[in-house]
Amino acid sequence: MIMKKLKVTTAIVAVALSGTMALSDGYGPFPVTLKGYSGDKTNTVSYSGQIARHVLEQSLKKLAGKGNGGGNAADLEAQMLSYFNGSDDDLPIIAPKSKDGFKIKQTSLHQISKGKNISGKFYDGAMPAWPGNMSGKDVAYNMIAMAAKSNKGFDADTGYDWAQLISKYTMGAMAYNQAVDNYLDEKLSAEKKPNNKPYKDGAHYTGKEHSWDEAFGYWGAAAHQHGFNPNKVYEIAKMKNQGAADKNGDGMVDLKSEYVFGPCYYAAAFDRSGTKSTNYTNTLFNAFLDGRKLITAAAGEALSDSERSQLKAYAATIEENWEKVLAEAVFKYAGSVYKDINKMKDLSGDDLNKAYRAYAKHWGELKGFAMAMQSGKSNLGATATKMNELMGFGPVTLNNSYVTGMDSNGNFVMDRKRSWSDYQLHMLKIQQMMVDQFSVKARVNDGLNDLQALTDKLDSASSAETD
Amino acid sequence: MDDINLIEFFLSDFINPKKRVFTGYLVLSVVLASLWLLFVKRQSLKSTFKKIFDRKILWSGSAKADYKLFLVNRVFTFFISPLLISQVAISTAIYMFLHSVDAFNQNVFASTPTSIIIALFTITLFVVDDFTKYVVHRWMHKIPLLWAIHKVHHSAKTMTPITVYRVHPLEGVLFSLRSVFAQGLVIPSFLFFFGNAVDLYTIVGVNILVFFFHATGSNLRHSHIDISYWKWLEHILISPSQHQVHHSIAEEHYDKNFGAALAIWDWVFGSLHLSENKGKVFFGLDTYESGKESRIKDLYLEPIYEIAKILKTFCIKLVSLLLNWLSLLRDLFLIQIKKNKS
Ligand SMILES: [Zn+2]
Ligand SMILES: [Zn+2]
Repeated sequence: MIMKKLKVTTAIVAVALSGTMALSDGYGPFPVTLKGYSGDKTNTVSYSGQIARHVLEQSLKKLAGKGNGGGNAADLEAQMLSYFNGSDDDLPIIAPKSKDGFKIKQTSLHQISKGKNISGKFYDGAMPAWPGNMSGKDVAYNMIAMAAKSNKGFDADTGYDWAQLISKYTMGAMAYNQAVDNYLDEKLSAEKKPNNKPYKDGAHYTGKEHSWDEAFGYWGAAAHQHGFNPNKVYEIAKMKNQGAADKNGDGMVDLKSEYVFGPCYYAAAFDRSGTKSTNYTNTLFNAFLDGRKLITAAAGEALSDSERSQLKAYAATIEENWEKVLAEAVFKYAGSVYKDINKMKDLSGDDLNKAYRAYAKHWGELKGFAMAMQSGKSNLGATATKMNELMGFGPVTLNNSYVTGMDSNGNFVMDRKRSWSDYQLHMLKIQQMMVDQFSVKARVNDGLNDLQALTDKLDSASSAETD
Repeated sequence: MDDINLIEFFLSDFINPKKRVFTGYLVLSVVLASLWLLFVKRQSLKSTFKKIFDRKILWSGSAKADYKLFLVNRVFTFFISPLLISQVAISTAIYMFLHSVDAFNQNVFASTPTSIIIALFTITLFVVDDFTKYVVHRWMHKIPLLWAIHKVHHSAKTMTPITVYRVHPLEGVLFSLRSVFAQGLVIPSFLFFFGNAVDLYTIVGVNILVFFFHATGSNLRHSHIDISYWKWLEHILISPSQHQVHHSIAEEHYDKNFGAALAIWDWVFGSLHLSENKGKVFFGLDTYESGKESRIKDLYLEPIYEIAKILKTFCIKLVSLLLNWLSLLRDLFLIQIKKNKS
């Protein structure tokens, strides 16, 4: 009897173990496949440059909130630019930083990677979502200058929250753009970065291996999060679960492989809220993983046409779902702005100012993500035009005016007014647009949620009886 | 579809408390009818039973046609209803429209106690729904094109609770649209002005007022059990007997009692007729050729022919009117030319 029980227990343990084994199938390590390589490296996975850029972005976001209303503008702008343009000096990591119960291994940029910047990898096409007819990169410089002059990153007159605008925009203009418009696009062609040659002279990884890894790095997932519940991924990004993050158990979270950054964090955040019907986190992770396995399996030979078309199918999955995550973000924050306006309608004095600050924060996220969507591979065309029109250049402020453009001196013009409920209508339309154009499913903060629920409850067909 | 599904498909209304023919309501109707016959009409138990389950009524040609229409219409609804405009589409459009009117303040009544919001919503929904039923029903009688369709319902010579399904599919479509519009107006308006506390008081998942309408014998309006109310109450609620008057063949009963649950609309708009104790009321249409009321094919196709005929006459009238106008114009033109010459 005891033996039998023991056997069963062993079987259960074995199954459980094999279960964890399967789940720990992370992104790497992957062996060297490069033909003729004679060095001693054994793992080809490398994307520390992308991690460095995520850290630059998060640090930049922190700095954007450090203005004191003009006094420190010049210094602060120079400091922010050193993170945006990169620096020869080793910059301290301003965020993410260790906190109680969540120890981070690295404290300075060079511990991750040297010589990295944001500006060199930033979308520089047209950016009609922002006033002033500037290119994508100039918009970022404009935001940085404005943030440095502001008081704690906030401009009450225009309603701009610079930290949110800069960070969300960068998440698209750098990470999303580089991944979908560069590494998962041009660099998947037969000619560029072939798999039978090193990525660059002296490298131990092939052209395709490294291109794919760089895209993965921009996505910002932890290498070991394969099969994780989105809550766990979310907790890692929020620095609430060191146990889940610390894969190698050294008591520290290694930003280079164990932490979750922006784009992936938002995927997890949507999977765990709203309708809870999405699976962006794992869909993207698996597409990245399957693509990398395919490249590794090619064993250092150039990829065949069929292999490349399979790889492109994975890339398409990544691109489509990444875009959806951004659209979910636009949907969510349009809903937040809608709700914030309802709150503000009932308030006055200090309470109103507080609510207005929260509203501006949400609007900054909304705008930042809308701009992120517009810095990908495809021009969103009429959808972008319509979305920019509905959102406006700025939020409707406390006196109902809003930014309508930029004059020749670079000052924001606010020469029109709009009612708050009219602006709420715009938010509902933006949400509907995200549903119609991008089929968003998580739908956090759905402005039409109550309407839908009540309609479902009533079921009009039942009262169709005649007499 | 296997057998079970097929049975469920056709008979689902009998187990759905949102429907009038829900078994529970039917049982209550039998109870009510018995009480009425036993204690008000002072009839014996035996004759009460005989009257309620009268074979001549339940198996008349007219009733059998009802049963067939019930089944066939079920199939029609299945194919037509997905094509109709959805409730959500209308609600959303109206909800958005409310945002665009600056004079309207969202959540302006949101601080109203929740129980009052729910009561108001429950009543408003019921009243608006009932009023639109009155209006559309009135149109069905007054507009020749619609009367051609509604005649099918009035052709019943005997009535059973299933007679509620004796309607042409086109009437079904009209009434579905009416319901979609009525609710599509009330739901977004309440949400906009009262906020998300809006909800419905329900019993077994049904609007409590609808539940009472059905539980108090809505099935008996299509029957030969002429339950009537006090005169004052018949100004407020339509009694079974009043709806039987609506189905009466007698000329003095034409175009009376269009109301569904509430009699108020008939009272206000002058179409109210109280129940009377003048003996048996005959149901049907005196213009209908005898026997037609039990022929399925006629019931479905006759309205179509009649609509075609009405439209044809209308077109002919329109063309001749246009021709008249043209000749008038020509005459005026000629007169003008003559004048110019002289
Ligand atoms: Zn009737
Ligand atoms: Zn009628």
